[in-house]
Amino acid sequence: MVGFQLINGLAGLLIITSLLVILSDRPGNSARFYALQSLVLVALFLALAEATDSHELYLWSASAFVTKVVLVPLIMYRAFSKLSDPKLGSGAVLSPALSVVLAALVVILCYSVVSGVSLPAAAAIKPALAVSLAHFFLGLACIVTQRNILKQVFGYCLMENGSHLTLALLAAKAPELVEVGIATDAIFAVVIMAVLGTKIFLTLHTLDARQLTTLKG
Amino acid sequence: MVSSNLPLLILCGPLAVAVVIFLLPARGLSTKCFEAIHLASTIFVLALSITVAGHVIAGDSLTAFGDWFYIDSLGCIFVSLIGIVGFLTGLYSIGYIRHDLESGLLDRGKVKLYYGFFSLFLFTMLLAATSNNIVVMWVAIEATTLGSAFLVGLYGQKSSLEAAWKYVIICTVGVAFGLYGTVLAYANGSEVLGNSEGAILWTTLAAHAASLDPTLAKLSFVFVLIGFGTKAGIFPMHAWLPDAHSEAPSPISGLLSGVLLKCAILVIIRYYIITLKAVGPEFPQTLLLTLGILSIAVSAFLIYVQHDFKRKLAYHSVEHIGLIVLGLGIGGPLGIGGALLHTVNHSLTKALLFCGSGNVLMKYGTRDLQSVKGILRVAPVTGLLIMGGALALAGFPPFNVFVSEFLIFAAGVKQGYYVLMIVCALLFTITVAALIQIIAESVLGKSPESMPKRDVGWLSLAPMVILLALVLAMGVAVPQPVSRLLQSATNVVLDDHSAVAITAPWQTPAAATPQSGVQGGPVALVTDTPSHSETNP
Repeated sequence: MVGFQLINGLAGLLIITSLLVILSDRPGNSARFYALQSLVLVALFLALAEATDSHELYLWSASAFVTKVVLVPLIMYRAFSKLSDPKLGSGAVLSPALSVVLAALVVILCYSVVSGVSLPAAAAIKPALAVSLAHFFLGLACIVTQRNILKQVFGYCLMENGSHLTLALLAAKAPELVEVGIATDAIFAVVIMAVLGTKIFLTLHTLDARQLTTLKG
Repeated sequence: MVSSNLPLLILCGPLAVAVVIFLLPARGLSTKCFEAIHLASTIFVLALSITVAGHVIAGDSLTAFGDWFYIDSLGCIFVSLIGIVGFLTGLYSIGYIRHDLESGLLDRGKVKLYYGFFSLFLFTMLLAATSNNIVVMWVAIEATTLGSAFLVGLYGQKSSLEAAWKYVIICTVGVAFGLYGTVLAYANGSEVLGNSEGAILWTTLAAHAASLDPTLAKLSFVFVLIGFGTKAGIFPMHAWLPDAHSEAPSPISGLLSGVLLKCAILVIIRYYIITLKAVGPEFPQTLLLTLGILSIAVSAFLIYVQHDFKRKLAYHSVEHIGLIVLGLGIGGPLGIGGALLHTVNHSLTKALLFCGSGNVLMKYGTRDLQSVKGILRVAPVTGLLIMGGALALAGFPPFNVFVSEFLIFAAGVKQGYYVLMIVCALLFTITVAALIQIIAESVLGKSPESMPKRDVGWLSLAPMVILLALVLAMGVAVPQPVSRLLQSATNVVLDDHSAVAITAPWQTPAAATPQSGVQGGPVALVTDTPSHSETNP
């Protein structure tokens, strides 16, 4: 039971770290906070592995550590630190206070959705499950409310972390290869977004999504 | 189910070619060398896809790698499309890319990247069409975005980079919804089956779909429809499509519209099958009908107002994807069969027209239809081929799109969706007007006086001639092997043996296959066959 409390507690920490990713002023700092968040996610996987006695989840936490805590943040930090668009500022559409309130609303809404799920596996971990769903939508909100195209990449990463957590919570014994497939895809996605983002910056000299308006109609 | 190496072979070929091309130096080798490797890759995929189709039409379903890969009649349609359209757009690429290289739009390094990513793109689409593991299915669809993003942004201009960025962001975010849906379906299956290994396989999930938790099944279908619907270009998730289709090199536009969108449709159909069994037809069909008619309605007007040839064609893709989704939503043997036939027909027609737009770009240097006049005078073969393609896309007989549109409309009327079908028909008249406009002004109009009268090279015309021949052949009479494959695939979707012969209305009853136990063509069947919705619980 203590194990499940730990899981739900760690899930709460995820929301705080994702807010840090969304609200931090520079993409380089977001990359640092993303590494921190992934560390929390790895801890969550470990706690879940212990609580459910899932051998697969131990392997997941190891590969998630390599990909999400080390590789992806490193790629983003190295690629994004070189790019800055002073005219854009933070690029946030919403104020930090409003963002926090909205995040809380999303969590409450997701909790009410999750409370309708009747799977026995989900009974003890409903708060964590609600957080994983909320995390997915926070990532989406990050993409919609940020004008900085590099911040949009973090939005995608948050969405991906959210669905990854849902997978771990609802299907702790999924084959390891599945997890490897998802993680590899995420790395490629981030690499391609980083390359494209850099190309856009070098060609258009901006990181502002609102400047990308040549194609219309 | 027969264990076979074919699914793995067809996947390994283009993947190996992509790796080889990426590893080869761009400077030391001539572009002819890359062209030869690229052509070998597309011919390999074509030959194996035909071999696979031969096995599947004979009644086998092929599996490989512990059932992780599975080609049944449904998947076979899409594998064949990748083979045929992949080969023809691949062949077309050679003349087109040579032209871009000569005119300085591309350098040798980019030509190498183009051919490498072309094979990689084919591999990712084949992975999506052959995967039986639902997570690999998701990984494959995500990989199609990653594999084709560089192709969309190949020219490195402001507009193409913008299109590539929108493509990557919208599709990865959309497909993240697909991952969530996949996770929910898997969690649902592994809980109910008590078997975490089996629940990852689509075949197992589909076999035990009736015992799945209905709430989770519905939730999963919604996520899947949003997620993979983004990739398929269904309204309102289609925002990336006109940009990516118009900015990509023309053969890639043909591949995106002709095949990629269809691969996403295949994944949606796979989940539709599970959802039909888990919660009955009402919920998924309502969603599909709504999204289908909205896609048609919105795109019909957008098609009309476009002056950019490729954007016009791109919005056509949204409209025709809408029609396919509408056919799936109508359901029943005729609706599903019509939708599957339309998938094939639209692929061939759209590949033809996008290649045509490539010829226009080579000849006129612009996609603006207000500047493109008199194609028939300056490039007569291209003009004729575009005219044929436009008439086909508008739904005129004896071209193929007419047959599948007729089947879907007949299915709609049969199921009692009178108002919906009338609205749909009215919307399609706007599209016909837009296509007639292309023929009247751009193909037949007065050509610029300074433009020399000389068509593009045979390398750019031959694939289009083959495509037009296929478009006509499918329109005059659906070949019997294709008809049997479609019929069998419809049975897979409906999980029964109620499928009807998927043929043109004028094909003789003899065209109906013996297995179907059906003696009439589709026209007769409109009145004879009980609908799936009526028989489904």
